[in-house]
Formats: sequence, structure tokens, C-alpha cells
Amino acid sequence: MAYILNRLLSVLLTLFLISVITFAVTNILPGDVAMMIMGTQSNPEALAGLRETLGLNDPLVVQYGRWIGGLLTGDWGQSLVFKEAIGPLIAQKVVASSLIVVMSMAVALIAAIPLGVWAAVHRDRWQDSTSSTAALVGVSLPDFFWGIMLILLFARALGWLPSSGFVHPGDDFLGAIRHAFLPSLALGLGLMAHLTRMTRATMIGIMGQEFIRVARAKGLSEREVVWSYGLRNAVGPVLTVAGLQIGYLFGSIIVIESLFNFTGMGWLTYQALLNRDIPLIQSTVFVIAAVVMLTNFLVDLLYVVIDPRIRLS
Amino acid sequence: MKRRDFLSNTTALFGATMFSGAAPMIASAQTTPVTGGTLIWGHSETTQNLDMHQTGTASTGRVLQNVHNSIVTVDKDFNVIPMLAESFDTSDDGLVYTFKLRAGVKFHNGAEMTSEDVKYSFERCANPDTGAVNFEVFNAVESIETPDPLTVVVTLNAVNAPFLSRLAENGAGVIMPKGSGDVQGETPIGAGPFKFVRREFGNEVELERFDDYWDGPAYLDKVIAREIPEPTVRLTGLRTGELHMINDIPADRMAEIEDAGEMQVVKWFPLNWDFVNLNHTFEPFQDARVRKAFDLIIDKEVLLDGALWGQGATTASPSYPTSESYNSDLSQRAQDIDAARALLDEAGYPAGSLDIVFKATTNYPYHIESAQILVEWFRMAGVNLSIEQLTWADWLSQCWVDKDYQMTMMNFFTLWEPDFLYYSLFNSTGAFNYRGINDPEIDKLTEEARITVDPAARADVYKAVQQRVFDETHDIFLWFRNGSIGAQPDVGGLDSIVHPNGSNLNFHKVWLNA
Repeated sequence: MAYILNRLLSVLLTLFLISVITFAVTNILPGDVAMMIMGTQSNPEALAGLRETLGLNDPLVVQYGRWIGGLLTGDWGQSLVFKEAIGPLIAQKVVASSLIVVMSMAVALIAAIPLGVWAAVHRDRWQDSTSSTAALVGVSLPDFFWGIMLILLFARALGWLPSSGFVHPGDDFLGAIRHAFLPSLALGLGLMAHLTRMTRATMIGIMGQEFIRVARAKGLSEREVVWSYGLRNAVGPVLTVAGLQIGYLFGSIIVIESLFNFTGMGWLTYQALLNRDIPLIQSTVFVIAAVVMLTNFLVDLLYVVIDPRIRLS
Repeated sequence: MKRRDFLSNTTALFGATMFSGAAPMIASAQTTPVTGGTLIWGHSETTQNLDMHQTGTASTGRVLQNVHNSIVTVDKDFNVIPMLAESFDTSDDGLVYTFKLRAGVKFHNGAEMTSEDVKYSFERCANPDTGAVNFEVFNAVESIETPDPLTVVVTLNAVNAPFLSRLAENGAGVIMPKGSGDVQGETPIGAGPFKFVRREFGNEVELERFDDYWDGPAYLDKVIAREIPEPTVRLTGLRTGELHMINDIPADRMAEIEDAGEMQVVKWFPLNWDFVNLNHTFEPFQDARVRKAFDLIIDKEVLLDGALWGQGATTASPSYPTSESYNSDLSQRAQDIDAARALLDEAGYPAGSLDIVFKATTNYPYHIESAQILVEWFRMAGVNLSIEQLTWADWLSQCWVDKDYQMTMMNFFTLWEPDFLYYSLFNSTGAFNYRGINDPEIDKLTEEARITVDPAARADVYKAVQQRVFDETHDIFLWFRNGSIGAQPDVGGLDSIVHPNGSNLNFHKVWLNA
């Protein structure tokens, strides 16, 4: 319990520091939101008026205080450029990002773990080199390449799946899965390659250890040795990597989001930055940071379940 | 190219609807209109603040064209014609404008439009607290009176010849129901043919037919504008049939779409125009010979082919090509590297002595491509040109606001209102004079135009401005860029969709064949 409290405290402190740094950095950037709103229609007089209206002339401390005060009281304010309430806006994009991240991770894990184990068990044989080559191809080719190929095949040639767009699972669950499928697959292929390599390496390490020899000596079937003894021990590091990836994917898959016009948190953060929309930048970065830390925290907790030897202290 | 050739060429080429009612070149038969259906439009840009007064972006105006009506509007020849006002009258001294409103016009909230709404809308736009992009339109307004529910009298304290035509655009001329200002940003309410239903930000905007529209209900039940900024994604959506239509077909894919012949392609002209800017506060460019030499270095036709795949037409004037103020006597300088070298020598900049940084924004990828083509020509002329790529925010702050650049490039809407165009861009006090142009002759002419009420005389003044800008090479004009729409064969009424301003799309008379 003390461990959990400690972790939570450090998470909160980190989030606070991140928000201060984000705020400072975005204020150093050249250009401001008033200019982005007016674009090439801006003139000094109008800009000055708009800056005043938007509260950009207030001291930075006041602007920051306004944001954090709102955050704590549940009113996340309004995007300056888009005039949308930030809370619901982020909620919607979080759903989109979560859908795609969870689905791609599922695709990746379902394929990567058996493939990695298979390669490790048949180390240095044709199974291993096949799996390694496939993984190398998967890691080397960027996800947007897979995206384009998948669109050409499934949307253009076969016409089975939509090529773009996001549907809210609350409105139409099947439609949501159909729309999220191709982007998830495109992301999942690269991830799968990565996780296959990871599973293989960890499994090889584990399978050479004493307790595996003991298990074999006890006369357990090879199947039992590999899946119950080997994999159970190998899965921890794989999950850690997968957990880190979830946080990373959540806010940084802008290329895939653009390619499939499946706008999530990555896209929203990019728009916020591009437009110097400070309250929106603050809130998106904050949410992404929170998700990254939350997934790491959960992975740590999951460790205890998987490996009873670990005691949190 | 003479204006007549230029027009006939473009009409032949594009068959666009904007000229003299020529029939569009659309492959499928346009049958009789059908009511019903939801049209899914792949929109090329993301909408921003939905408040018509506060938004300066073309993307938002394009969608809101369907939600709002302005007090007056323009026909395809840019004559101001009635809209929500069924008639208007200007006093002989040009100071008093009287608008007679159409009776029985309903807003989407069910309220009936009265002169109070007009007063509210104009005052809201004029109020600096609103942050309206076009607030300066009302600078000369002294009073707005409403003698009866259907009459509005606007009195100016100085003649402002462009006043009425500025009101023909939604930015300043939109009529909103009284008191609706606070909700306009998220849920716009107007008197247009479609009601705003919802926006999922960055994903789609949903519009629904407004059955009580004063000019008769639209055919479509709904329009869903999916926001798809990636050109190839948009095109894929059209080709897989997920979208009924898209705007802005990528220039490099145009030939492919037209050759395939499965889609309707509507092209019009012009969407916007581009020019190369020379900073007049940068020492070498204070010499008109250097500016002229730079003009001579650029082969505009080749640049148009290279950067825009020929999707446009070169021009020496930024005036709207069919407008009265377009100076058709001007033609661009042909490329002449030797002459350019001679001029640069004469001005004291022999080959190898000029190092110029060209700042181009990645917001318009074809600007980057143009800059890359320019480098080689400038090298041939003995000028070392290097490119600096800027994001939109950086371009705005460095070039537009701080005027910290030597050479750059920009595009503008084809602003058909010449005062907006010439005064703001070329007058030494103009709001958009980011090149630091300071030419007393131009200042005199642009001031004179403002108080010249006779349209023909006013057009002549603007022609003189164009001549002066050309003679002095204050800027280097390149081209008008085409607008385009690609649509499935079952979309009808596309000949009516493009607003005269070349950017806005109006779905009032568009339908879907079952």
C-alpha cells in the first residue's frame, strides 16, 4: 500500500512538472494563437484586440494558474482556435486512440508470443530464421507502408473494409471495429515484429536456465515445460515493453492517424501545437503523460500477478 | 495573354460554371433534382472556430456558407444583388445605405428575422470585443437605425465605396439572430439552407436541411463534411465509394482521375492567386532594377507546370479575372536571364555577389516545390538562392508580422473586392503590406479609389495601380490556381455548387440521384 501511495505521489509530481515545462516551452515558441486565428487576415490592430480578448496579455503565471485551476475543478476550458470545450474534445479523441492502441496491441501480442516462442524453441533452425526474417521486415518497414498496402488490398481491391474515418463505438460498435481494423493492423504489424524479437530473446535466455532442466528431468512434457515454465517467466519483460509501447502509441501515431483519417490524441496534440493553442497543448500533453504513467503503473502491478516472487515493498 | 483569350481559354479548358453561365463539362447526365439522401463530402481542411465573425479561415467559411446568409450577395459578375435584404439603396452622397429586408425569413431557431437582428449582427461584428476578423468594414459607420422591423438604415461618416460589396461576404454581412453571439462558436445559427447539427472536431460536421429556408428547401436531407486534409486519403475515399465528393483534387493526380473517366470532375478558376514577395526594406530590393531583374529570372509558365502540374493560369494582375478592375493590358515579363544579369550588374550586384534566403512555408507544399525550381534559375543569373522552410506559425510570425525575410511567396484568395485587395496589400499603411512597399503614387491612387463612387472610374484607378505595381515590380505575380471537385456520377447540381468567391461551396441546389 505504501508502495502504491509512493508511486501515485511521484506520478502527480511528474505530471505537475510536465505541465510547467510544457507551458514554458510553448510560450517560448515564436508565433501565437491570435496570429494563427487571423492568419493572413491579421493586422496589428485586430491582433492586439484578439490577444486581449483571449487573455494572452495576462502574466504567464496568471495564464498558467487559470489552466491548472480549471483542470482541478473539472473545467478544462475552451480551445482558443477551435472554440470547442476541451474536456469533451479530449474524451472523444481518447476513445479513438484507445480503440486503435488496444486493437493493435491485441493483434501484435496474439501473433508475437506464439511466433517468438516457436522461434526460440527451434533456435537456429529454419523456423527461427523464418520468424527472424519476418520480424526484420516488419521492424524495418514503416507503419505507413503497411497502411498503404492494407488500404490498397482491403479497401480498394477487395472493398471489404473502409479506408478511412472514425466511428464512435458508442454509436455503432461493429462499425467502430471495422473502421479501426486497418489502422490497428498497420500499427500491429510493426509492433508484432518488435515483440516477436523480444519474446524470442527472453525465451532463449529462460530456456537455458537450471529450473527448465529440472522440469525436463522431472519428466514433464516439452509442451508443458515451454508454455507453463518457460513462457510464464518470459512474459514479464514482454509485457513491460508492450506497456511502454501503449503509452508511446497513444500520443504519437500521427502518421497512421492521418493516413486513415482516424483522428486521435496524436493528431489533436499536433493541431494544438501547430496552432499554438496553449490550453489545448497543455491538456493534451497532460493526458498523454498521464496515460503513459498509468500504463507503466498498471504493468508494474501486473507483474505481481504474473510472478508471485515479486513483492512490492 | 489578352484578357479575352485568357477567358475563352479558361472557359474551354475548365468548362467552369462561373463564366457567363456556360454549361459545365460533367460527364453524367444531370437529370431532374431528387429530394432526399445524405451527401458525404470529403472536405480538404479542418474547420476551426465556427463563429462566422471570428473565423478567418477559408475552411470554416466554406462549410458555414450553407448555414448562413448575408444581407446582400454577389452574382457571378460580382454585382451586388439582394439576399436577406430584398432591396437596398445608397444615398447620392454615398453616406446612407437603406436596406429593405425580406419578410418572413426564418432563422434555424424558429425566430423571424427583423431589422433588430441586422443591427445586432453589424454591431457585434464592429465591436472590438467580439474579435471579428472583418471589423474594419464598419469603421466608418456612424449609426445603424431600425425605423421599422423590415428597414435598416446605416449611416457612414465618410464615403466608403467598398462598403456594400464587403457586406456581400458572410464575414461581415452575415445576419445572426439577436443574442446568439455566445453560441455561434460551437453551434452556429443562421438563416441559410442547412442547419448545423453537430461537429465531431477533426472528424466531421453534420448539416441538416432547413425546411423553412426562405429561398425554398434544399434537396439533400443532410450533408456530412468529413474533414480529410490528406489529399491521397481523400482521393482513396472517393475511389472506394465511401465519399460522394471531394474538393481540391491533388494537382498531380488530376490527369489520372480525368483519364479514368469514372468520376465527375468540376474545375473552376480561380481558387486563389500566388505571388513572389521581395522585402522592400532589404537593401538590394530598394532598387527597382533588382526587383525587375528578379522578375526576369522567373519563367512563370514553367513554374506553373513544375509546381502545380499546370493546374492554373499565369497572370500579371491579382484582380479577379472577370472583374471590371482586371488590367488586361498587362502581361508578365518573359524569362530573360541575360537581361536580368545586365540589370543586376547595373545596380551594382554582379554575379556571385547576392546571397538571398527564400522563406517558404510548408503549409503550401507547392510553395516549397516552387522555391526548389527557382534555385536553379537564380544560379544561372548569378544569384545564390537558399531555401528556408517554415511552418505556418513561423511564417506568420517571421514574414507576416515581423517582416523578417528577404524573399518569400504567398497566396491569397481572389479577393474580388478591389479595395480589400489593393489598399490593404499595397498602400504604405495597408494592413497586409508585409513587404514594406512605400510608393506615394500607389498611396494616392488607392486613397482616390476609396472615394470614387462611379464603378467604371474606380476600376480605372485600380488598373492604374496594377500598372504601377508592375512597372515598379513591387511584387512578382505568378498565377491563379484552379479549384476542383471530384464527385461520383450520382451527384447532381454541381454546376451550382461553387460560390462566386471561388472558395465557398453551396449545397442548396445539389442532389443525389437515387
